[in-house]
Amino acid sequence: MISILEELAEGQRQLSGPLVAAALTPVDTSEDPNRLQSFYNFSNAAQISTSLRHYLTQTCRLKIPKQELNAWIDLFSAYWKVVGELLKFGESSTRASWVQVFDNWRDLANVLIRAYTNFGFENWTISCLYVVGKYLRLFASKADAETSAQSSDAFYQEDATTDFGKNAKTEEAARVLNRMFTLCLNDRAPLEASRKWGVYYMTNLLFKTYFQINAVGLSKNLLRALSAQAKELPDLEDFPKSHIVTFKYFVGVIYFLDENYGEAEEHLAYAWKLCHRNATKNKELILTYLVPCHLVNTHTLPSKKLLSHSPRLETLFRSLCDCIRKGDLHGFDTAMTAGEEEFVRRRIYLPLERGRDIALRNLFRKVFIAGGFEESKDGQPPIRRTRIPVAEFAAALRIRTHADSRTRIDIDEVECLLSNLIYKGLMKGYIARERGMIVLSKGGTAFPGTGV
Amino acid sequence: MSSGLPPWRASASATTTASVYPSHATPAYIPVQARRSLTTPSKPTPAVSIQPAPADADSARKRVEFPPAVRSYVQRCFEPEHQIPGVTRQEMETKLKSVITEAAQSDSLYKIDWATLPLPQVMVQNDKTRILANPEASTWGSLYMAATASSAQTYKHDESSKKRKSAEYQTDSSSNGFPPWRQTNKQNAFEDRITYSPTDKRQRIDFKNPTSKSKANLEMRKKRFEDTRGSYGSSPSSRAASPSPTPTGPVVGRCQELEKNYFRLTSAPNPDTVRPLPVLMKTLDLLKKKWKSDNNYTYICDQFKSLRQDLTVQHIRNEFTVIVYEIHARIALEKGDLGEYNQCQTQLRALYAQQLGGHPTEFKAYRILYFIHTRNWTAMNDALADLTPADKQTHAVKHALDVRSALALGNYHRFFQLYLDTPNMGAYLMDMFVDRERLSALAVICKAYKPDVKIRFITEELGFESDEQSARFILDHSAEHFLQEKDGVVKLLTGGKAAQLFELSKNEAHRVVDIKGQI
Repeated sequence: MISILEELAEGQRQLSGPLVAAALTPVDTSEDPNRLQSFYNFSNAAQISTSLRHYLTQTCRLKIPKQELNAWIDLFSAYWKVVGELLKFGESSTRASWVQVFDNWRDLANVLIRAYTNFGFENWTISCLYVVGKYLRLFASKADAETSAQSSDAFYQEDATTDFGKNAKTEEAARVLNRMFTLCLNDRAPLEASRKWGVYYMTNLLFKTYFQINAVGLSKNLLRALSAQAKELPDLEDFPKSHIVTFKYFVGVIYFLDENYGEAEEHLAYAWKLCHRNATKNKELILTYLVPCHLVNTHTLPSKKLLSHSPRLETLFRSLCDCIRKGDLHGFDTAMTAGEEEFVRRRIYLPLERGRDIALRNLFRKVFIAGGFEESKDGQPPIRRTRIPVAEFAAALRIRTHADSRTRIDIDEVECLLSNLIYKGLMKGYIARERGMIVLSKGGTAFPGTGV
Repeated sequence: MSSGLPPWRASASATTTASVYPSHATPAYIPVQARRSLTTPSKPTPAVSIQPAPADADSARKRVEFPPAVRSYVQRCFEPEHQIPGVTRQEMETKLKSVITEAAQSDSLYKIDWATLPLPQVMVQNDKTRILANPEASTWGSLYMAATASSAQTYKHDESSKKRKSAEYQTDSSSNGFPPWRQTNKQNAFEDRITYSPTDKRQRIDFKNPTSKSKANLEMRKKRFEDTRGSYGSSPSSRAASPSPTPTGPVVGRCQELEKNYFRLTSAPNPDTVRPLPVLMKTLDLLKKKWKSDNNYTYICDQFKSLRQDLTVQHIRNEFTVIVYEIHARIALEKGDLGEYNQCQTQLRALYAQQLGGHPTEFKAYRILYFIHTRNWTAMNDALADLTPADKQTHAVKHALDVRSALALGNYHRFFQLYLDTPNMGAYLMDMFVDRERLSALAVICKAYKPDVKIRFITEELGFESDEQSARFILDHSAEHFLQEKDGVVKLLTGGKAAQLFELSKNEAHRVVDIKGQI
């Protein structure tokens, strides 16, 4: 029993894309640990297409149009070759090479693309495109890793800054994936039989590839192409959720990297809401960017409960959030320094840094509250003291930044911090410099959104 | 999107496609013969239709009036000094015939740059080396070699040589001038650095001695063949993929002159015009003196570029290289030539990664300031990721990081304190964005203070040198009536309207960042 061939035949009988795609998945399964080997033993290089033809037409008695049948045979012959390359790894021979695997898989991808453009593969087979694209990217990065491991000792570079060829295979994969993307995007068949349904899956694969080779800028080309075709595409809601969640996540991160936190939050929130509740890792990834976005946009911190689901997020954000909440500037600075490496690596350092403003606001709010109330007149409800000497804020800063008695707190700097909070709308009021006073607005609007 | 080439390759392809233009296709690089022995007959090229037979060539010669360039080309072929041992006269003649016939029949007699076209004997020799060097073709190659060596001039051979020619001008030129078996997916890294510009630039190299131009060209070409036979085909990218026959090293210069003008390379470098390391060291000393005495930036920049080029083509990467880039970067900074500065900075980053000495922290600090100026946050993220904990302890890097964080939080007070105390030459970089940040600060101040602030306060907070200077700055970006004299002191009337004006100016200033900053 050769499970790969059975899956292929059964997929053809039922016109089931996932089954054929399963056949094209180049891994052994737990049910069939010799899955690849048995397929490889099925024939040899000279006879593989004849054997496949015989199997499909005679053994399984499939009725497939001749051209299409040939395309399937070509596809699985190419597949058979890759399997051969993959099996070399098991033989522990030195001949095994991911570059070889990649090159053969790329050929397979090209056969598949041709099968769509020239030999009438229908849209039920679209899952094949997914699985081939997916492994194309995986094999490419393995091939690149292999190449760089081999050439790292050979010191020779044309120019000081040449990263040249470091990602050669991945770049090549991106090119092939791009063809698959256009293959999906530009299909003019009626929607129910269109490859357009695969467009977001391919986009996601390309996003991943571009992020990997540090060419995030190229992602924008895809977004442009998609928005140009927006009218022709089915509604976003009608696509498989898994495609959309990933897509929205990446679009959010792309805006995020541009410091466009408004747009970023919109897309990330969409992904967050749609994300499967058991997809822990994906949820973590979304939150990694959504939390800083939300902090910048709305000045709100994640709840304890939200973070408690994930130990990773807990370590990432917990102490920072606590310090912001308490207005603990010293603690905030320490937490930023402690997490700096991780924050920078994830590219969330810059937005998180803005959390200091919120910490400062919270501290100054305490000063305001500590100021107590004015003498109430004529039985009116008491109002808070709204004229506060700058020196009181300076004292608060001195405590919270752990300044010792020798460090001078610069009144001008305190004023600068205050003026920034006013400018950013975190405080309402003005500084009367001549008198060294802050005049805050009355009626519970001095610190907008915080109840005082 | 649908084109095969992704955008990040596009630039590379743009340079390569330039070589397709017949006008300067050939001289820009070594035309390499197509693999004659492996030609697949199943792919007929258009040139196959050309009638073979030497007789035809003769008739062509009678029909066509040859331009003088062609005549001098032929003449040169027969000059004894150009004969190459191992290439028989007969082989050369056959080749010559086919070259000219080909040119005549494709109407390109006037298009080909005959002065720089390799001589037929060179082509023949190259063919042989290629075939010998290529193990895959060895069997066929040697068979063919035997055939040609015996000079059995048959109809068939003649035809095959014609095929080769067409491939040379059509197929090959479009594929970078490397024969198919040398083509890897990646292009030669060095090729990317060469722009195939019209030949005029190269000719200027010989301007001192115009009479012997063609001869000098000839010399240069000969040199090129000697040096580049394998070297540029065997750059690291292709070396991995194909067995390279002669892994020749980088160019070793022979030029002894200290000064040299910069030309962008349009061909493989000629060792006669490249200065070796000891000469370059003297050059640097000379340049340093000249910069002190003359302060002529145009001259010094040009000289440094040629200095850097000589280092690059000879693959010299040591502390001296770092020093050259550092000095050039500093000079460019001083003159505000950000384009040139950025080139040096990019190179330096890679050089520091190899621990070659120099002043890494000083330049890492500049890098951060530079990205503040260009507001390239993606690159800033990368720059931050590059820093080691030890880097962060140094004065310069710490300063740059503080500047960045002060700006991120809008802490203009701290920012201008840092501005007045900038280590090294960072102030040149900070000067580029300090006005921008002054406007931001003024927008904040006008919104937060009421009813007014003393001009003295602005001067001190925003790092102006004098009250006059700050008053001038305010007037330049707002209206006169916001400055008023009260009780003997000039005050800036703050409030909504002034804030609005500065907000507008600020947005304007933040919009126009010239990323390249070239002058």
